[in-house]
Amino acid sequence: MSAPLLELRRIAKSFGGARALRGVDFELRAGEVHALLGENGAGKSTLIRIVTGAHRPDAGTVAVDGRPTGPLDPRTAQRLGIACIYQQPALFPDLSVAENLALRLETGGPLRRLNWAERHQRAAELLGRIGANLDPRREVRDLSMPEQQLVEIACALGAGARIVIMDEPTAALTQAEQQRLHAVVRELRAQGTGVIYITHRLEEIFALADRVTVLRDGESVGTRLAAGLTEPELIRLMVGREVAQPYPPAERPPGDTVLRVRGLGRHDTGVRDVSFDLHAGEILGLAGLVGAGRTELARILFGLTPAETGTIELLGRPVHPRSPREAVQLGFAYVPEDRRRHGVILDLPLAHNASLASHRRLFPGSWLRPTAERRLAEDFIRDLGIRCGGPFAPAGSLSGGNQQKVALARWLATGPRVLLLDEPTQGVDIGAKGEIHRLVRRLAREGLAVLLISSDLPEVIGMSDRIGVMRGGTLTALLPGGAAPDAVMAAALGRATETAR
Amino acid sequence: MTPSPASPRPALRHETVLLAVVVLEWLCFHALGPRFGTLENSFDLLRHSAEIGLLALAMTPVILTGGIDLSVGSLLGLCAVLFGKLWRDAGLDPATAAACTLGIGALAGGLNAALIAGLRLPPLIVTLGTYSLFRGLAEAITRGADTFTNFPAAFLFLGQERWLGLPTQAWFFAAVAAAVWLLVHRTTFGCACRAHGFAPEGTRYAGLPVGRQLTAVYVLSGLIAALAAVIYTARLGQARADAGTGYELLAITAVVLGGTSIFGGRGSVHGTLLGVAALAILNNGLVHARQPREVAGLLTGALLLLALAAGTAPRLWAARRARRSPAPSSP
Repeated sequence: MSAPLLELRRIAKSFGGARALRGVDFELRAGEVHALLGENGAGKSTLIRIVTGAHRPDAGTVAVDGRPTGPLDPRTAQRLGIACIYQQPALFPDLSVAENLALRLETGGPLRRLNWAERHQRAAELLGRIGANLDPRREVRDLSMPEQQLVEIACALGAGARIVIMDEPTAALTQAEQQRLHAVVRELRAQGTGVIYITHRLEEIFALADRVTVLRDGESVGTRLAAGLTEPELIRLMVGREVAQPYPPAERPPGDTVLRVRGLGRHDTGVRDVSFDLHAGEILGLAGLVGAGRTELARILFGLTPAETGTIELLGRPVHPRSPREAVQLGFAYVPEDRRRHGVILDLPLAHNASLASHRRLFPGSWLRPTAERRLAEDFIRDLGIRCGGPFAPAGSLSGGNQQKVALARWLATGPRVLLLDEPTQGVDIGAKGEIHRLVRRLAREGLAVLLISSDLPEVIGMSDRIGVMRGGTLTALLPGGAAPDAVMAAALGRATETAR
Repeated sequence: MTPSPASPRPALRHETVLLAVVVLEWLCFHALGPRFGTLENSFDLLRHSAEIGLLALAMTPVILTGGIDLSVGSLLGLCAVLFGKLWRDAGLDPATAAACTLGIGALAGGLNAALIAGLRLPPLIVTLGTYSLFRGLAEAITRGADTFTNFPAAFLFLGQERWLGLPTQAWFFAAVAAAVWLLVHRTTFGCACRAHGFAPEGTRYAGLPVGRQLTAVYVLSGLIAALAAVIYTARLGQARADAGTGYELLAITAVVLGGTSIFGGRGSVHGTLLGVAALAILNNGLVHARQPREVAGLLTGALLLLALAAGTAPRLWAARRARRSPAPSSP
């Protein structure tokens, strides 16, 4: 048998005193999709950074095609055909798709002649190979995240990468986009490329992977064939214990109507004629494709882009939130999709983040009260199980799941009536995901009305009491909780038979 | 100070290093110039640094929000001229004229605020515009030649005499310093300014009144520029259209020297006070050490760049060391 495409032996790496990797072996064959799995902090990112040359291992060897590579740096790694597609694409937002591709792929001096026709044709051809229907002339800033990812993949293809690493590529994608990406990955595999695939979504592993390697606490706990594995087995490998109940059950029927939305719309966001009721203690899931208008709807309710048409009634009283400040005062809370830009302020300490939306309540007369703030933070750290270096650790030093809990804490501190959650478990490890699910369920039980936007189909189905499906800016279907995934998908894609009231 | 004990902290706080620099400067000039350390000279130092100090104090919250106000030097000139005009030509007594001037300063700050918070234009460009506009207005009012002098002694007391043992303006400076310190470090307003400096969008998403907050910092900046104008006029006994030329840059220098990040978010008012002291002592000390004026500019620049490099370099080196030489692998 020929040498594996990529072979890692006894890789170890420490940061300061923390041992991120303790002698990990890993092997990738040509034409295989090898899933790399583990909770956040298990060492996946470190391992990937060693392969791409961003980190140098303390010990261990890397070999490509059976030949040791010696010390890797990013350029050597690229020359060896290693490419990494990150969750957050690193493209130039002000340049067009074709220019972005050309910047990485074209060789020659700075004074070479540019052939725009050829550039655009090449870009179109690369995008075509992965079935992406994108105009190469568009500016990257106008592309959605999944579209940007496609550009990244096209780029890796264009560079002739044989080892493609995908770091949670589907975290921000809807089901349909996920399917398309999977097709791209299968295409890569068929062409003999080795794919290292990192994901938190277990169902992807069964759909896509040939083999699975699970990391736990910086060690490899084993490499298995995906075909023989079951979901509980995988979870047990990852967390070292069995996770009993993936989704906490709903416990009581919803109460009075808290939010009544009728004919809501705003032209420039594409949202039109949205009507629904949200009850106390209810979790209303919102499913749909990216671009269906779900985030836009939440932004309208939260006053970020005020409504132009329609009415919002909160507890029977008509309201018109025209800014987030007004919305907060009315009792809306919004945990946004982009946690790092909007959800928390990474440079501010945890305690300041937690108190940020409740200044008026916590600090009457505007004078800061450090003791009250510290107590608030400590309460939430204990209550939500936030793992951190104390109440004044910068939010940026926490893991994704814990940052999300801080974002939640900020809104719980305001005592909201309506909680708008936008992809609350995106990029969050499986342990923290479960904790967030239980927390949201508990909040609903305590009487909060929750609108849960999620592209994670099992999540939105498992968590919701009712599932609203949006398509083309409007609510097209309202399904009962626990509906079949294909029914939700069908509604999102516009093949619905049932319609919303 | 907002406590943040768990944040990764440098070996030495910026303010501590700057305090050492200030003390070092003092000792150095004390040895070089025989008259430098006298009480009279210390009062002189206070008098000369009060106006730039005031501008720097007001600039601190502006820069903390991630903004900048280039118009304060020009506004100082405009306010000085308007103050003279109100007193001499409109016949107001100096106190009333000063009160009106403060109002005008706040209005001028309001113009900046309206463009920055209302129209969401970048502060750098807005205040670059008002920088020219205010100076142009001052020159138009005086036709470039008119000077206001012969103010009554009761008014000059503010700039040239002592009250309770200290130069009169030092009391104003101390009061404003205390007020700004409390505002930045002890109120929710200060916390919101920092938040805005770190993440303007994130602050909006948190439901904070971003527009009102920005309005407040620029109006405060205008108001304090007007106060500085009145004190400036009282110190020199005259008001001219070119008053305060270049002060905005000195104020920004003092703020940045004091450890406030020009990108917003990080910084402190006590740092700014130390920055003002470091610059004032340097300028005054060089005169006493009989050095030509050019040296002052040269050393100010060197000091600022050194302070910036000293703040950044250790972190960069630490990061590079961590990357280059891997820690010995564990057994």
